[in-house]
Amino acid sequence: MRNLLYLIFRYSAFLVFILLEIFCLFLITNYNKSQREIWAHSSNLLSGNLNQRVQKLEDFFTLNAINDSLIRENARLLETIINYRIQSDSESFQAFESISQDSSINYKLIPAKVCDKTINLRNNFLTLCAGKSQGILPGMGVISKDGAVGIVRSSSENFATVLMLINSQSRISAMIKSKEYHGNLVWNSEEIREFRMVDVPKHADVAIGDTVVTSGYSISFPKFIHLGVVRDLRIIGGSNNYDIKVELGYDLARISNVYVIAFDKADEKIELISAQDE
Amino acid sequence: MNKLVSRNIIRIIFVLLIQLILLKRINLTFGDFNYVHLSIYPVALALLPYKMPRPLLIIAAFAVGFIVDIFYNSLGVHAGACTFVAFFRYYILNFIAPRDGYKKDALTAYEYNITWFLSYMAMFLFLHQFMLYSLEAFSPVYMKEIILRTIFSFIASLFLITIGKLIFNPKY
Repeated sequence: MRNLLYLIFRYSAFLVFILLEIFCLFLITNYNKSQREIWAHSSNLLSGNLNQRVQKLEDFFTLNAINDSLIRENARLLETIINYRIQSDSESFQAFESISQDSSINYKLIPAKVCDKTINLRNNFLTLCAGKSQGILPGMGVISKDGAVGIVRSSSENFATVLMLINSQSRISAMIKSKEYHGNLVWNSEEIREFRMVDVPKHADVAIGDTVVTSGYSISFPKFIHLGVVRDLRIIGGSNNYDIKVELGYDLARISNVYVIAFDKADEKIELISAQDE
Repeated sequence: MNKLVSRNIIRIIFVLLIQLILLKRINLTFGDFNYVHLSIYPVALALLPYKMPRPLLIIAAFAVGFIVDIFYNSLGVHAGACTFVAFFRYYILNFIAPRDGYKKDALTAYEYNITWFLSYMAMFLFLHQFMLYSLEAFSPVYMKEIILRTIFSFIASLFLITIGKLIFNPKY
């Protein structure tokens, strides 16, 4: 206590100075118009700046949650676009056959993260950090924000393996957009972006630069998922079909977030097709 | 000792009267050149006795500044500058201490010499003026105005104080 009193006595001049200066500042900022405005503005700047910094920090910590919610949102939007595209494409038929709207084809998108992938082998696979518990089943198509990626080959409780387009076994039902010629997209096992489209009949008026999209004939992909562009076409001697070189429009080496497409009438379609085979 | 106190009180009142009745009315504006403001009252604070306790000195300076503020309608500006300069008076005095220290209590040119008095007054006044115009502008945005006002007002006020010294040349 005595030390404290001594300290106060020792620095009494400084304390009085500080107290009076603070009082003066208080008077200045309260009783002078221009100074008050400057004070209000400056303190707003300071507090605004501080608030902004705190907000940035907060944003950083919630980045993961925001990312997840954005991915979900993206999935929902893509879902809407895909379903809308299919509906608007078949609208004329629907009007003709007077089929009600709610019986229209419905695709659902399940967002998933890529855990692991190979891109430099002959048979490349993708591992997803989502599985049966999220509703991912074998046979479902996988797309990224740019286009098709592959087809789910097997799924466990929490993981799924995807047979990518860049796999020698991959065979995707594709078509030339706006010309409706249908064929199959296979990988020639060399370049990651170079594909071959086979089984297109040679009377088709395919031109270089045409867009190639999924056909929607399989259960894996809906119609009009982007694939690539026709780069070169020739007819092999003695064959009835074109051999079309297709360049993929996006980079399969750089995907990290994908969407798995669940077709809610897949079982019905599979049943029908397998019944045909028998 | 009593004389020292009474003379200081009389000087404070006299200087304040000159400042608030006379100098406040003098308007030294030449067109856009509005940088000269005369202030003589800091001399009363500078001449307060050397041995005056520092907290008391600071409070006295605040009181003088507050009175000036009431008349100048700028509550806190002059008081802040006076408090500031009163706090730093101790360091100014230490900085320009005469070779054999402060033997006399009155810090006048009569007791010491005119050179010492003018350099002391110059430092004291400059600090006061700078603080005063800084508080008046209240933002570093107006740095140019603050510096111009400080320099021109400082020169004019120091000139006025020198004249006052030549006229009165007080012992206490």
